Amino acid sequence: MNLAPDAFLRVEGLEKRFAGEAVLHAVTFDLAEGRVLSVIGRSGCGKTTLLRIIAGLVAGDAGSIHRRGLDITGLPAEQRGIVYLYQEPLLFPHLTVFENVAFGLRLRGMTSPEIDTRVTRMLESLDLLEHRDKAPSRISGGQRQRVSFGRALILAPSLLLLDEPFSSLDTDTRAQMQQLFKRVAAEYAITAIFVTHDLKEALLLGDRIATLRGGRLHTYPTKADFIADPEAGVAEEIAFWSALGAPSSDPDAA
Amino acid sequence: MSRSSRWIAVGLGASCVAPVLYLVALSIAGPWPYPDLLPRDVRFDRWTALLSGDHDLLGSALTSVTLASAVGLLSAVLGLFIARAVASHPYRRGLTLTAHLPLAISPVILGVCLLYFLIRLDLAATLAGVMLSHLVFALAFAVVFWLPFWNAEKRAYEDLVRTLGGGTRDFYARVVFPLTRGPFVICFFQTFLISWFQYGLTVLVGSGKVRTLPLEVYEYVAEANLGYAAVASCLLVLPPVLLGWLNLRIARRLS
Repeated sequence: MNLAPDAFLRVEGLEKRFAGEAVLHAVTFDLAEGRVLSVIGRSGCGKTTLLRIIAGLVAGDAGSIHRRGLDITGLPAEQRGIVYLYQEPLLFPHLTVFENVAFGLRLRGMTSPEIDTRVTRMLESLDLLEHRDKAPSRISGGQRQRVSFGRALILAPSLLLLDEPFSSLDTDTRAQMQQLFKRVAAEYAITAIFVTHDLKEALLLGDRIATLRGGRLHTYPTKADFIADPEAGVAEEIAFWSALGAPSSDPDAA
Repeated sequence: MSRSSRWIAVGLGASCVAPVLYLVALSIAGPWPYPDLLPRDVRFDRWTALLSGDHDLLGSALTSVTLASAVGLLSAVLGLFIARAVASHPYRRGLTLTAHLPLAISPVILGVCLLYFLIRLDLAATLAGVMLSHLVFALAFAVVFWLPFWNAEKRAYEDLVRTLGGGTRDFYARVVFPLTRGPFVICFFQTFLISWFQYGLTVLVGSGKVRTLPLEVYEYVAEANLGYAAVASCLLVLPPVLLGWLNLRIARRLS
C-alpha cells in the first residue's frame, strides 16, 4: 500500500501477537488531518488492540507509528496527545460533571479561571451546562457519553480514538450521539479513528472506511469502493432492507 | 419500621451495649456477693490507680494503641499496592490463594512459623517483632480486602488518565485515593481490630515482654482479679467501639 508521505498519521507494518496468535498482521494505513477513519470488524478481530497500540497503552511487536512525520512508536501514552474513548463513558464517580470535563486541564496545571471559562463553554456546546454540578450517577447514559466526549475534546487532542463509544446506548440516543459526533468533528476539525461493527455507523461517521479481518487491515480508497465490495456486506444489508420495503409478491397479501 | 423489626433492633442493640455496661459496672463495683442484683457499694480506686500510674495498664493500653494503629495503617496502605500487583499478575489466582493462607491457619501456628526468623533477625520479644508478626496476618487480610477494588474498571481508569496526559502519580492522587477514602477507613478498622485483639501471636513472639491489653486482661482473669480485668476490658473495648461507630457512619455515607 502506498502511504502519503505528508499524512498526519502513518502506521506501517504493525504486528501484534497474543499467546502466539497473530492479532494484527502488517497493518499499514495513513490518515490525513481533520479526517475520520471508520474501522469495521467483528468482535475480537483486533480493533481494540489496534487502537490501544496507537494510543501507546500496549506495545506492538513490530511496526511504526508516525504523527506529522515524527516517530511516536516508543512514546509513552501520556506524551502522545492522543485521547482514547472507551465503549463505556468511564466518568470518575467522585467528580461532578464539571470536574470530569476539567480533569485533563487540571493535569496540565491550567489556572482555575481559565478552566472555568473553557469547561463552561464546552458544557454549553454539548448542552450539559444545567448538569454541571451533578454526579455522573445522576445523569443519563447519553449525557454521560457526552461528558466523556467533552472531557476528551477540551484537550484538543491531535488524534481521537473511539472504541465503539455508542454501542451501549439505545437506538435513539445512539442516533443523537452520531449526529453530535458529526457536528463536533466538523466544528473542531477532529482527526479520529472510529472503531465500530455497525456498517451504517461506519458509513455515516467515517470519511474513509477500513475493514479488519484476520488481523489484516484493508483501507478502501472511497466509500463507493467499500459499498461495492461484496465482502464488506453492505450489498447484503441493502438487499435485506430493500426486500422488507418492496411490495409483496404474495397474491394473498393484497 | 414494623413493631417486630423495632423489637429486633432494640434486642440487637441491647445485646451489644449490655456486656459493655456490665464491664463498666464490674470495674467500679465493690463487694458483689451472690445473689445480690447490684454491688453493695461503688469504688473508683481501680480507675484512679490506673490514672495515677500504679498499674501498667495505661502503658499496655498505649502499646496496644501504637501497635494496632501502626499495623492497621501499614496493612491498609501496603495492602492496596500489593493487591494491585496481585490483580494484574499473570498468576493472579495462585497468588490470591496464597494471600488467604495466613488467614486459614491459626495465629499461634503462624507465630511458631515466624518465630525462627524473628529470632534470627533479633526481633523476638520486641515491639517491632510483634508488629511484624501482626502485620503478616493483617496484611493478608488487607490484600484480600483490596483485591476486588482492582477490577477492569480501575485498569481502564488508569489508561484513561494516561491518555488524558497524566502519569501514575496523577492516577493515584486524583483517582485512586479519592475513591478509596471510604474503603480505606473500613480496611484500617478491620486490620486495627485484628492486631488489637491479638493474643496468641503477641504472647509467642513478645515472650511476655511486650505487654498489650489482651495480655493484661488474661492475666487479671487468671489471678481471679475480676475488678482489674474489667478495667482492662473497658480499655480494650473502648477504641473498637469508637472505630465501629466511625465505620458505621462512613458505611452509611457511602450507601
